[in-house]
Amino acid sequence: MSRFKNILNDAIVGNWLRGRAAERVGLPAADWRPRQALSRRALLRGLGRTGAVALALPPLEAMFNTSGTAYACDGVLPVRFGLWFWGNGMLPSRWLPDATGEGDAWSLSEQLSPLAPMKHKLALVTGLACKVPNTSPHGSGSAGLLTAGPALEDAEGNRRGPSIDQVIASGIGGTSIYKSVITAGSNCTGESWTGPAARAPAETDPYALYARLFGDTFIEPGEDGIVDPRLGLRRSVLDAVVGDITTLQGRLGAGDRARLEQHLEGVREIEQRLAILEENPPNLESCERAAAPTADFGDVDGRAQVFARNRVMSQLLAMAFACDQTRVFAHYLTAPVSDVLFPGATAGHHDLTHNEGGEQPEVNDITIQCMEMLNESLQILDAIPEGDGTVLDHSAILAASEVGLAQTHSIEDMPTIIAGSACGYFKQDIHHRSFAGASATPLLISLQRSVGMAVGSFGFDDAASTTSLAEVEA
Amino acid sequence: MLLLLPLLFACKSDPAAKPGGDELLEDSAAPDGVTPRGDVPQVDAPEPVLKRLTTTQYAHAVRDLFGEEVIVSASLEPDQRVEGLFAVGAARTSISSYGVEKFESAAYSVAGQVMDNPLLRDAIVTCVDGVAADDACARDTLDALGLRAWRRPLDAAELDQLVDISALATERLGTFDAGLTFGIASLLISPHFLYRVELGDRSDTGRYDGFELASRLSFFLWDTIPDDALLDAAANGDLDTDDGLAEQVDRMLDDPRALDGVRALYADMLHLDALDDLSKDPTVFTYMRDTLGASAREETLLGIEALVFEDDGSYLDLYSGQRAFLNRELAALYDVPAPAREGFGEAWLEPDGGRRGFFGQASFLAPNAHVVSTSATKRGIFVREVVLCQEIPDPPANANTAIPEVDADARTMRERLAVHLEVEECASCHRLTDPIGLGFENFDGTGRWRLSENGATIDASGELDGVSFSDAWALGGTIAAHPETPGCMVRTAIQSATGNLVDELSVDLVDWHTLGFTNGGNRVLWMLRDVALSPAFTQVSAVEVAR
Repeated sequence: MSRFKNILNDAIVGNWLRGRAAERVGLPAADWRPRQALSRRALLRGLGRTGAVALALPPLEAMFNTSGTAYACDGVLPVRFGLWFWGNGMLPSRWLPDATGEGDAWSLSEQLSPLAPMKHKLALVTGLACKVPNTSPHGSGSAGLLTAGPALEDAEGNRRGPSIDQVIASGIGGTSIYKSVITAGSNCTGESWTGPAARAPAETDPYALYARLFGDTFIEPGEDGIVDPRLGLRRSVLDAVVGDITTLQGRLGAGDRARLEQHLEGVREIEQRLAILEENPPNLESCERAAAPTADFGDVDGRAQVFARNRVMSQLLAMAFACDQTRVFAHYLTAPVSDVLFPGATAGHHDLTHNEGGEQPEVNDITIQCMEMLNESLQILDAIPEGDGTVLDHSAILAASEVGLAQTHSIEDMPTIIAGSACGYFKQDIHHRSFAGASATPLLISLQRSVGMAVGSFGFDDAASTTSLAEVEA
Repeated sequence: MLLLLPLLFACKSDPAAKPGGDELLEDSAAPDGVTPRGDVPQVDAPEPVLKRLTTTQYAHAVRDLFGEEVIVSASLEPDQRVEGLFAVGAARTSISSYGVEKFESAAYSVAGQVMDNPLLRDAIVTCVDGVAADDACARDTLDALGLRAWRRPLDAAELDQLVDISALATERLGTFDAGLTFGIASLLISPHFLYRVELGDRSDTGRYDGFELASRLSFFLWDTIPDDALLDAAANGDLDTDDGLAEQVDRMLDDPRALDGVRALYADMLHLDALDDLSKDPTVFTYMRDTLGASAREETLLGIEALVFEDDGSYLDLYSGQRAFLNRELAALYDVPAPAREGFGEAWLEPDGGRRGFFGQASFLAPNAHVVSTSATKRGIFVREVVLCQEIPDPPANANTAIPEVDADARTMRERLAVHLEVEECASCHRLTDPIGLGFENFDGTGRWRLSENGATIDASGELDGVSFSDAWALGGTIAAHPETPGCMVRTAIQSATGNLVDELSVDLVDWHTLGFTNGGNRVLWMLRDVALSPAFTQVSAVEVAR
């Protein structure tokens, strides 16, 4: 009889669909309200929003990692990094502005025109190349730009090292609730890697993202209560798990041992989070619980709701920065080779990049739509005031794609934009065009230094570099 | 659907349908004039690999531990493919930190659901009182549950640790049930649940120990944890002999859970997960519905279940068979009468419809196409890589991959793709893929039949490795008869069962299994049994422990 039941269940399509809808079940219901262990919010309020705050306050331990590499804006606010990625590149002739320079010396190009409201906070860099063998269409550019190394040709499609977002998360993510948050505005895995053989998939569901960032365990500044005893119990469980994993590692070969090391890293990140929640929850002035998503983000008439999903995820990520839930995000609007059917397009994006003829007006329109969404994401970050500026001002956002011209999978002239100055580290309202064939790696070094990491060199083989991109540094 | 079910299993109880019988590793009924495969070749055993539970294995394990009512969060970290298989990816990829976080929250969710439901709770907890601290009860409960969850008995220290956690939680939270929730969650967060610790390092015989074999068998054949009978067999030493192993394999293949195993194997092999995110422009493909992917997936899996369990049939029928299982949505798409008013019913596809086998199903035709058009290249790559196990290299990164737009001289995909075959740089690979894919051009990007494209008649004829075909109907037969088709199935099953790559195993051994498979008429059940009894599955070499 059970055989019948089983097959019946599987056969009913409705059930299958229900299974797809993410079942969001949290921890057992809590009777305890979380306690605010360290209240600095009132202090901050009382002192106003000037740089003088730093003088009046003792340093917040939670805002420095143990190696002291992360520095804080005005000594108070954390500096953050975001990767904002879109797939399938741009059309170089419509991307490149006519002029270089700062301020009024340069104007936005056709494809960049949606960024007009944010031009004063952008550093546009053109002409950078990935110095890696272009052996894998889309893969080489993704690995080249994000890891400064080649895409490996093994069965797993691994990398030589972690992607820039995870490099920076390792540098500055150690004291926030989440070391990094990886999201996607379409159904894709993203291109984040925490290690050479460790892919870190993106969250694609806005509801799951909300539950993670602002669900049961979120503590809003000013909330009072007692510490939930389950936090400590979960740590006890994880202590045992660490012991089990470590013992098991002693029976394994090198490959499996390294895989479990990644698992262990995940366990340690939960432990870190529980400890912060118990002992010293973040308490930033501009933090408030984000609004929960309410819409249905499924496809409408075969078209992904890219704008709506990008908007809600950007709002959650921006508030996650403001609440110090995380200091690093990677957001993949779309992935390399994405075939998303954009509004108004007659075919999937990737399909069009190869098969649309002439000057590719549809591809052009899609790139412009991507920049409209980038503009929206940046405006959301810029709308949260913080200290003497905004959350965007205290961040560096790298907007980039895995190719220049997608039709030929060019990695010679990559689209790269830095938005936000990272507390004054980067110049703003500037278009810098590098000499032809200049490596993109110095840009990645600049980004690491902008958040306070003391990095001397970065990258592999021909993509290795020891210099930063001084031309865009203030 | 209901009418179909008795049919599906009518033959299951027929002993004649059982694979192999007593001839453990002999050929199945080899026809006269066929070379018997002889003795199993002596090969070096592969090193063990540590496999993480796949998302379906996790869900099945929770179902079998606690009950079907328990809902597992659908947002566990997605499985990753390596060599085309999630089953291999599970042995070779790392989990991300976010994935670990999801495992932790899923464990508390599951444990909470169980303890909040008196029926589920009482099925696993040995004492009635849910309030007063009771270490003995916690110990008994976790001991029994741990054996099933970890697929082996817990040692004293492991059990003490779990009981201590439950006791601590009971003390802090005030009730026994709340405390035990943490003990149960601990079991589920442990690497001994989340990973299949089958290392062969606790026996010195070069063979996996009984509990490891029980775990290997159950995940391969059932896609879930062992049942009590299998654990008993392990404890009794029954699995230490090939005879004892064969007895369990026969029992397991005769059990309803074998459906889950076969479903998992073919959903993985045929990339049916691609149907989850099917994206089609409904203004171009007017039969596109949000439910199409789910319907197509079920069509494929019902057909495979019938082929394997009802017919004990040949794997090749998957590509050339005319028996189909359709619901109204698929019948409308395929333009045939709906065989059932509700759910799925059985249909017989006639040659004049042009459609048969897996390559006539939306499960193949829709994902291997673009959002608004077909893709002869994608369909050709699928046939080469998935069904024939051949490798098609990436195109050169700097290639201009544009195909000409539709115009008066190039109205069909065949005419437009001709450019691929003119440029030598492209032709070396596209000659391998496009002629196959063009054989399916009578099916649009969702799988609906068509005779013309942009006003021009579609020519679906071609040649596959020296054998000419006239259309998709013939091509299904040509692929089924391709000499590499059975060997690829065997290779896929071995990689799926072991997590080892064929490169790490002996080619001779794979060939030996393939010869037995083809000699016996390519019966899937026979092959699954053969793989489960293979030295590649039961034997292991010592791992070089890293320090």
